[in-house]
Amino acid sequence: MARAGGITNAVNVGIAVQADWENREFISNISLNVRRLFEFLLQFEATTKSKLASLNEKLDVLERRLEVLEVQVSTASANPSVFASH
Amino acid sequence: METLSPSSSSMSARQEAATFDEFSMRQSLLFTDSLKDLKSLRSQLYSAAEYFELSYSNDEQKQIVVNTLKDYAVKALVNTVDHLGSVSHKVNGLLDEKVNEVSGAELRVSCIEQRIRTCQEHINRQGCVQQSLVITAPRFHKRYIVPEGESMPESGTTAVAAHQELAFQLTDDLELQKFRAEHHSAIRDRPPSFRRMRSLSPSPTTRTRSASPRKGRSPSPFPHPGKFMSDKRAISPRPTSNLLARSGSLAVRPTHLNSTSTARRFLVEAQKSSSMRSHAERNEHKQMERLPSKGKGFLKALLSKRRSKKDEMLYTYIDEY
Repeated sequence: MARAGGITNAVNVGIAVQADWENREFISNISLNVRRLFEFLLQFEATTKSKLASLNEKLDVLERRLEVLEVQVSTASANPSVFASH
Repeated sequence: METLSPSSSSMSARQEAATFDEFSMRQSLLFTDSLKDLKSLRSQLYSAAEYFELSYSNDEQKQIVVNTLKDYAVKALVNTVDHLGSVSHKVNGLLDEKVNEVSGAELRVSCIEQRIRTCQEHINRQGCVQQSLVITAPRFHKRYIVPEGESMPESGTTAVAAHQELAFQLTDDLELQKFRAEHHSAIRDRPPSFRRMRSLSPSPTTRTRSASPRKGRSPSPFPHPGKFMSDKRAISPRPTSNLLARSGSLAVRPTHLNSTSTARRFLVEAQKSSSMRSHAERNEHKQMERLPSKGKGFLKALLSKRRSKKDEMLYTYIDEY
């Protein structure tokens, strides 16, 4: 009887250990996916930031050029004799 | 059937625009909803974790709680990944769209700048053309500008104004024509010279004239009036037109001022030169005549010598026989 109780205890421990290993595997998989998600988020943030920075730079350059054009057009419209046909 | 009226095309365009706007609105609504879900996911995950912890400690059926927790975690992770994927895709698309819009705007701005540059270049070129037309390049003619009224030591005359000079030119022109007409009439009256006639026309009439060269010889320096007018004037380096053109200077030459006197002087000089030339020609002809006479005498002497020699030979031959 003692042998049978010892065997059943050992089986139960084995089952519990297997379940524990399964739970650990599941948690490691979840954590791995969460890490991957976190890495993706970091990469996405970096790319988005760089894209936004380039867009901001382009918009700044465009704004300056537009300002220059506005000044030129205003100068030309202020002095219409330049465009008079000769 | 296939052709669409403008109203129908505009309607379709409006419908397309409306559908595009509706689509974009739906997409934006979905995006905002997913963002809200992603925001609320953190609190949901925390609340789910607390609930499963309590149920696992209190409930008897721990295995069921663990399995339910596993399913919830997997679903939450998948939902988070979906949310993050959609959000990142939306953000990426939005950024790309904005970058493309900015690139298009840069292209338009560069096009406008190029147009403005072209306009500025055109304006600058027109300005340069205007300025170059305004500044007239000075032209320097061959003329000597002498102040009016000052004496010119070389010519012995005084400078005259341009309008007076023009009057002089006109009078000079008339007098020059008169002088030419007189000169031509005087030349026509005289017979042409022997040499010129001989060189020009080797006709039998000239040959007959050549028999008496003194009669055909003329003292005129211009043997053929027509030839003189055509050939001599054509060869002249300063024709009458050039003379008139050169008289555009303020300093009037004495030849133009005293054209009649100079014409007469020129006529007298021409007659003198013609007489001198005729005298020289006469001397030459005399010498030429003397030379053939000498030659004839020499030939006669030689012939007589030969005849005498022949006579002597004949006489000796007769004596021998």
